Amino acid sequence: MWTIAKLSFKEILYKRIFPIALIMTLAYILLYGIATHYAAASSLQSLNEIDPAQKAAMSMQFKIVGSQLLSMGLYFANFIIGLLTILATVGSIAGNIESHQIDPVLTRPIRRLDFLAGRFLGYGILLTVYTLFFFLSIIFVNCLFGGPLQADLSAINILKGGLVFACVPFIIIAPALFFSSIVSTINSGIILIVLYGMSFIGGFVEQLGSILHNAALVNIGIISSLLFPADNLFRYMNTLLAGSSATPFDPTSVFYGSGSPSALMLVYCAVYVLLILLLGVRTFARRDI
Amino acid sequence: MTDLAIQTEALSKQYNGKGGCQNITLQVPKGVVYGFIGPNGAGKSTFVRTLLGLLKPTGGKAELLGKPLGDLEARRRIGYLPELFRYPDWLTGLQLLHTHADLLGLKSSLRPQHFTTLLEKVGLNGREKEKIAKYSKGMQQRIGLACALLGDPELIFLDEPTSALDPLGRMEVRSLLARLKQEGRTVFLNSHLLQEIETVCDQVAIIDQGKLITQGDWRKLCRFQNRYKLIASGLGREVLSGLPYVIHAELCQKFEPEAGTALKAEWQIEVENAEELPSLVRTLSDHGIGVYELTPLEPHLEEIFLYWMNRKEPEDVDHR
Repeated sequence: MWTIAKLSFKEILYKRIFPIALIMTLAYILLYGIATHYAAASSLQSLNEIDPAQKAAMSMQFKIVGSQLLSMGLYFANFIIGLLTILATVGSIAGNIESHQIDPVLTRPIRRLDFLAGRFLGYGILLTVYTLFFFLSIIFVNCLFGGPLQADLSAINILKGGLVFACVPFIIIAPALFFSSIVSTINSGIILIVLYGMSFIGGFVEQLGSILHNAALVNIGIISSLLFPADNLFRYMNTLLAGSSATPFDPTSVFYGSGSPSALMLVYCAVYVLLILLLGVRTFARRDI
Repeated sequence: MTDLAIQTEALSKQYNGKGGCQNITLQVPKGVVYGFIGPNGAGKSTFVRTLLGLLKPTGGKAELLGKPLGDLEARRRIGYLPELFRYPDWLTGLQLLHTHADLLGLKSSLRPQHFTTLLEKVGLNGREKEKIAKYSKGMQQRIGLACALLGDPELIFLDEPTSALDPLGRMEVRSLLARLKQEGRTVFLNSHLLQEIETVCDQVAIIDQGKLITQGDWRKLCRFQNRYKLIASGLGREVLSGLPYVIHAELCQKFEPEAGTALKAEWQIEVENAEELPSLVRTLSDHGIGVYELTPLEPHLEEIFLYWMNRKEPEDVDHR
């Protein structure tokens, strides 16, 4: 299993998927940093120019805007992580079968379960490291250049949020391996991108339904979250990040969850990943190569 | 402990009841180079892939090295070079060997010596640090061969092992096969190249349309075992057809008579039983026919293959 994990790890590195993604990520962080810097400078100027009596209220408003800016940064990060995970893993089994690269490997003394688990761990570990790097970079930029727009974050909330955010790749890798073990690379890619998009739209719809008190919209959002909980995990992370800060994040924002944070959400995600993986193992073990 | 490296009993792999291979019952003894031949689409690769666990059988059973299909311990002692050899091209040849050595659980301390020997065997010494992406097709087949031989397997499946090699490479593989045979390893050789099989294999199985046609020592698989080249003078078809021993006779060529010599001709004859040859020569002599040469003709695998391919019904297969 560890040999396959190592091979998956190397595959992402050597095929230059990861180095290119890293360069683009750094470019994005730089851009985000510049935008934050100028937004902070402009906010600071506004604060200096207003009546001192209104300063406290204005500061509070800026904190909320800052948290929105942070959420936007993380939202796009989440999107990039999702796409990178899909692109890196979608052909991990189907592509190998199509190219016959898997043939000499599966005739070695390893079970197909080991192959799938190795793929899951190899991709999972690397993408988790990448996700945490991305997450901390956005937080760092907000803290360093945020000025009056700096979100009110505690270390424990960053830790909790970071840990939940680190689970995002696993939510995608499990179904990617499952679909990759039953359909071709291209079809697997289509299914995953549609599911991922559905999850995002579902999240918006749920939040909109919550604001408008529309049960039908909320239910649509819940169903999409159950089918593919990637977006739900992001919202849960955002809620954890806000925690019990003095300047709570804007509850009407499309980036947050409609309900209160629930550990049940994480349990659902863990069960979801496990079940999809087991299904993948079962399908992969029975199929012809 | 079984003396068979491969044993199958009515092994089938079909797709919706069609194609693939059907009811293949085969016994491959240990320590032989066994040829598996058949036309394109006969089901050869399907059979091999089923044995190796890449395809799930739809019927029958099989054992490799005395263990049921899929047994991990048996797989540790098996090597495989696929027909469509493709390896991660972002690895170097050496990294590929390390990856497969990891999968086999080979000790790190044993690897350098083992790898050097293997790379020498397949003619890739000095090229192992290059990326596989830079290898030619022949070199990729060679590194695949090295992978198949990793860990000194007892049973090696080679699916068209020389398809991408030049004549020199083919010769090297042939001598490698001979060496493997000397070392007591069993090689299951799947190939279209009958000359290659003829050179290195003692036993073959012929498969067509997914069914086993025949198997055994290929020299004994033909009906025309007792064939001889006969050079004689004064011999005509009427004489040969009158002889009870000769079941088939064919005039091959007539030789231009030199001054003072008789008109000679070369015939190819087939007799029922080799024991009848002295009587045949005596009878010909009694008829005043001069016998200059009577030489046994060795059958060629190609003839045997064509013979079995042209038969409409598969014969009872000798399962011994």
